[in-house]
Amino acid sequence: MIAPELVGTLGVLLLLGILAAGVPIGVGLLVVGLGGLALMISPEAALIKGGVVSFEVISKYELGVLPLFLLMAHICFAAGASRDFFDVAAKFVGHRRGGLALASIGGCAGFGAISGSSLATVATISSVALPEMRKAGYNPGFASGALAAGGTLGSLTPPSGALIVFGIIAEQSIGKLFAAAIVPGVTQAISYLLTIIALCAFNPALGPATARVPWRERLPALVKVIDIFLLIFFVIGGLMIGWFTPTEAASVGVVGALVLLTVRGGFSFAALGNSIRATLRTAGMIYVVIIGAMIFAAFISVTGITEALSATVTDLHASPVVAIVVMALVLLLLGSFLDGVALMLLTTPIFLPIAVQLGYSPIWFGIFLVRTMEIGFVHPPLGLNIYVIQGIAKDLSLGTIFRGVIPFLVADFLHLALLIGVPALTLWLPGLVTG
Amino acid sequence: MQQPAAPGEALPPDGESLADFPDENRAPHAPAHGPLARLAYALGGAGLLAATATDAIAVAGRHTGLHLLGSIELVQSAVVLLATSGMLIATLVGGHASVHIVTERLSRPAAARLARIAAFASGLTFLALAAGSIWLAYDLWNGFEQTELLHIPLRWLRTLWIVFALVIAGCFFRAALAPSSAGVRA
Repeated sequence: MIAPELVGTLGVLLLLGILAAGVPIGVGLLVVGLGGLALMISPEAALIKGGVVSFEVISKYELGVLPLFLLMAHICFAAGASRDFFDVAAKFVGHRRGGLALASIGGCAGFGAISGSSLATVATISSVALPEMRKAGYNPGFASGALAAGGTLGSLTPPSGALIVFGIIAEQSIGKLFAAAIVPGVTQAISYLLTIIALCAFNPALGPATARVPWRERLPALVKVIDIFLLIFFVIGGLMIGWFTPTEAASVGVVGALVLLTVRGGFSFAALGNSIRATLRTAGMIYVVIIGAMIFAAFISVTGITEALSATVTDLHASPVVAIVVMALVLLLLGSFLDGVALMLLTTPIFLPIAVQLGYSPIWFGIFLVRTMEIGFVHPPLGLNIYVIQGIAKDLSLGTIFRGVIPFLVADFLHLALLIGVPALTLWLPGLVTG
Repeated sequence: MQQPAAPGEALPPDGESLADFPDENRAPHAPAHGPLARLAYALGGAGLLAATATDAIAVAGRHTGLHLLGSIELVQSAVVLLATSGMLIATLVGGHASVHIVTERLSRPAAARLARIAAFASGLTFLALAAGSIWLAYDLWNGFEQTELLHIPLRWLRTLWIVFALVIAGCFFRAALAPSSAGVRA
């Protein structure tokens, strides 16, 4: 008889192999989860678990939040909101040294608040900001590095898709997770801004100043984003102070986005249809992944692998901070070959119980996990954001972009260390808004 | 400065989903065509709009003192429609998230073989989910499972999921067995 913990370990390794073979992430999680449950309990139990979990997931009220926030984002894009944030920020700070790079961080933060996605943020803002920066004589590596790093803000800025998925699989309040992400998101953006300012102070040729835009042009530009800003502020603010549940907040956001689309003159049934089609495709993909993650988590729970790992950590008598740093290193290592949310789905069932046993809040762990996952979007060899930028600026080599991102990676590691060292940065706001 | 984006033009570049999952083949997804796709888009769209309207009305009602009874149950039913349709649409357009780091470094024939195996495994997995759901639905059929407030019968929603799970499995098998299969695109 094989020890259950060994079955769990083999299951994780098998999952890595299956995912590497190109099997869809949700299916890979299901194959290992159902197969493992069949082995550990019985084939009948595995089948029934599959039936129970799949219907639970697709009929879960709380899960409605994800497609509805996706729809809100797609309608905002149809309203032409995606590029305005960079435009406004560039008009305000573009005349400073490194100003367009600073503006691109602002653009990423603003766009991230609509899209909730790192890949969409970097793709959209880069397509606007990179040509502007190169036209202004910015160093290509520096410009692309700033954009690759700035794009990661999309994963943490509420309403973040990654945080919603974490909230669902870890059964945590999505409102609290959104509140918890605000201070880390703001400090992350500040760390990038400081990096840009410092780099340009040492080497002004990296980001030369451009012509100052007069105030008569700045204020009308500001008006262009004020409606989107108010919508996001109302939706996220209303959610945090308890006016509505996350699903209701997303519905209100959809209605607000439709009003905005109409006011901006972009409403048509074709635009609405496109938004719905895009939403359904992404939502469908995520539902499969979540069903898989739930079944996989059930398998991991049955194997007792997390208890064994927790006991090992306890037996080592190491500080909880050391254990969290080790987790961060494992996540960064796995992030070298596993993409973003796949990493989260694989590691949450294993690491979350250990973190909780070490005395960390699950809300804090969610932010830590997403923040670590974000770093995987820019660190070699995978660094999906780097490839997205290279797809936009094909004349830039991957090496140039990776070199450009190094100073921002240093800022990322320092910021991650800050989040680990000062959990109150994450937990202060959710405690405040939820009493 | 760049020209302001016009309404309706500023979608994120193709291939970038809004969920930070790498898209299948990192290629743009054309909308699916055919009667099956039309049915899925219609059902899913109806579910999405119904969920939006129900929750928005419920919020407005709560703040004006006019409560919408059973709004959560209505949204739950709408979510079943959009989730099942969404999964079928993701399958029809080959939009399931997968990891590419190994497959994109393989030769075309090797990658195609792996894609067939992946599609076959996916079909079997959905078949297993359908089997488990059928087992459960069979056990619960005569219990007339329904929601608490509005008495929405859950067995029809379960049946819908079973049908869609079987169709999704069929799409994956078709992709696995197609003469020039290039992946899970059905």
